[in-house]
Amino acid sequence: MLSINNLHVSIENKEILKGLSLQVNAGEVHAIMGPNGTGKSTLGNVLAGKEGYEITDGSVLFDGIDLMELEAHERAQKGVFLAFQYPVEIPGVSNANFLKAAVNEQRKANGEEPMPPNEFLKMMREKMELVEMKKDFISRSVNQGFSGGEKKRNEIFQMAMLQPKLAILDETDSGLDIDALRIVANGVNKLRSKDNAFIVITHYQRLLDYIVPDFVHVMYNGKIVKSGDKNLALELEEKGYEEFEHATL
Amino acid sequence: MTQQLENILPILQDEHQKQALQNAMNIGVPSMKNEEWKYTYFQKIWQQDFNPILSSATFDFNDIKTFIDNNATSSNRLVFVNGQFQHELSNLQNHPAINFWNAKNTASTNSNDFLLELNNALSTDGIFLEIGNNVVVDDLIEIFYLHSIAAPFINIKNKIKIGKNAVVKFAEQFINYDEQTAYYNTVTTLEVAESANIEWNKIQDGGNNFYITDNMHIEQATKSICAVNTFSFSGGITRNVLTYDVNGERSESHMNGLSLLLNNEHVDNRTLVNHNVANCESYELYKNILGGTSTGVFNGKIIVAQAAQKTNAFQSNRTILVSNDATINTKPQLEIFADDVKCSHGATSSQIEDSELFYLQARGIGKETARGLLVFAFGEEVVEKINHQPLKEKVEKRVAEILKIEL
Repeated sequence: MLSINNLHVSIENKEILKGLSLQVNAGEVHAIMGPNGTGKSTLGNVLAGKEGYEITDGSVLFDGIDLMELEAHERAQKGVFLAFQYPVEIPGVSNANFLKAAVNEQRKANGEEPMPPNEFLKMMREKMELVEMKKDFISRSVNQGFSGGEKKRNEIFQMAMLQPKLAILDETDSGLDIDALRIVANGVNKLRSKDNAFIVITHYQRLLDYIVPDFVHVMYNGKIVKSGDKNLALELEEKGYEEFEHATL
Repeated sequence: MTQQLENILPILQDEHQKQALQNAMNIGVPSMKNEEWKYTYFQKIWQQDFNPILSSATFDFNDIKTFIDNNATSSNRLVFVNGQFQHELSNLQNHPAINFWNAKNTASTNSNDFLLELNNALSTDGIFLEIGNNVVVDDLIEIFYLHSIAAPFINIKNKIKIGKNAVVKFAEQFINYDEQTAYYNTVTTLEVAESANIEWNKIQDGGNNFYITDNMHIEQATKSICAVNTFSFSGGITRNVLTYDVNGERSESHMNGLSLLLNNEHVDNRTLVNHNVANCESYELYKNILGGTSTGVFNGKIIVAQAAQKTNAFQSNRTILVSNDATINTKPQLEIFADDVKCSHGATSSQIEDSELFYLQARGIGKETARGLLVFAFGEEVVEKINHQPLKEKVEKRVAEILKIEL
């Protein structure tokens, strides 16, 4: 599904990703771990199409298409979803209007008619239950005045509404208490299927107790330095990242 | 048009009107050298050939009736065509608690304002109504200003008295029936008695050959609430002068404005709040969305008299510039003579936040739609001030249409 090959990315002439390669197939969950400042969030942003990054080398193919050639909204329409580390507050745009626009733009891009309003509402209610959102959520402005936990739950809720093929969760666990973490993880697990894939970016092993990954990758200094199964995460929790520090220096 | 005024002077019958016209000519046409007119080029209106309307003109009744039916959001309406009040098209005259008084106002005022004097001299008609004590008018009272003749210069003077405890909402519709160029110089005075609650909406959307100079003066008595919401969506030059005299304690004054201009329009909003007594609150929120080569002007003055202790006055003017060639000139002015007051003012001008744009794009919403949604949301804060659902929806629809987004 996703094939990243020797990706080099700079921001303001500073190289952040230094030859990153990663293969993700449908049905898989990949965890990417690593200390602060190693380029984990950059990877998420680059895949989602945020502006300001310069791709200096390498390639990213998504279902065989050159993802880097597409604008952010085109990537989303093709099924790439980024759950933001810091979800943005959009005053004045209600969650309902925001998602209606998102769902219908995606449908339009796929040559489908807009979703009938009653069907849309039904779907919203269903997915809200999944992440235990309160009813007034529909009419509230996107993320405005939301607690940290509510913002993250909203990301998962949006993911549930848009049903992406590839979801990248950028530190979705940061700032969550144990109940919120359980709700978020539960939402993700219910959405897992043989047709979609997840990249879970995290600092801590904690989230991976709930969302069990098929692969764990260690990212260090702009590339993936080690890959393994879920046991690698436990190992990292115990030993930290010290060995990689020595390895790259 | 100065020549036209000189021609009219000898034929004016009424002495007050004659005097007012003479006053106007003595004061002279506003110039940009005048601080009050620094950013608005009045000559752009004055140099055109508008025809002062002094008598009634014929029009296609059915056509105009259909137009109003299609544009109305309420059953209560007051209609002017070519500067004349139209009884047949209006329907409030029989309301038991609404009193229409004389049809002509020839009272003289001696202002030093060119446009006020011009209005005194040339106003053909106006709404002169009195709403009784304790009257609650459920539906909106909609006022339509229409014209059927080419390039008219129309002066209308409204005088409205609101009784104690009355609750009334108005909407003034400056819209264009046939896309003709026109210049309206309107003057409205509104007296709001004790504990009355008034909302006044102005919808200014007559196309870019439409020119408006509007002057509204409000006097508020004790515990009254009065809100004026001004929406400007098109117009060659639109200038709104809004003055509040807050004369009764524990009253609330609200002023809100949204100028959404994407071509070459010019809108000048000027507010003055005179806090003359203690314990009152005023809230002011003017927003501009400016694109193309449009220009916005905002001048917000608040004067807190020495007696007006415990005044709370808030003013905010926020602008989003959506093009490189749009301009905003904004000037808050606070003059505070009392020592125990809370006053604040702020003016911002910005562009759309990249982070917000990316968030919407990351959900599959195209850049243009995303911009539209964000700009719509910025304006929605003002649109939400309309407390009449059909009018609010109509304004929302119009905003969406201008921004090319689907609701």
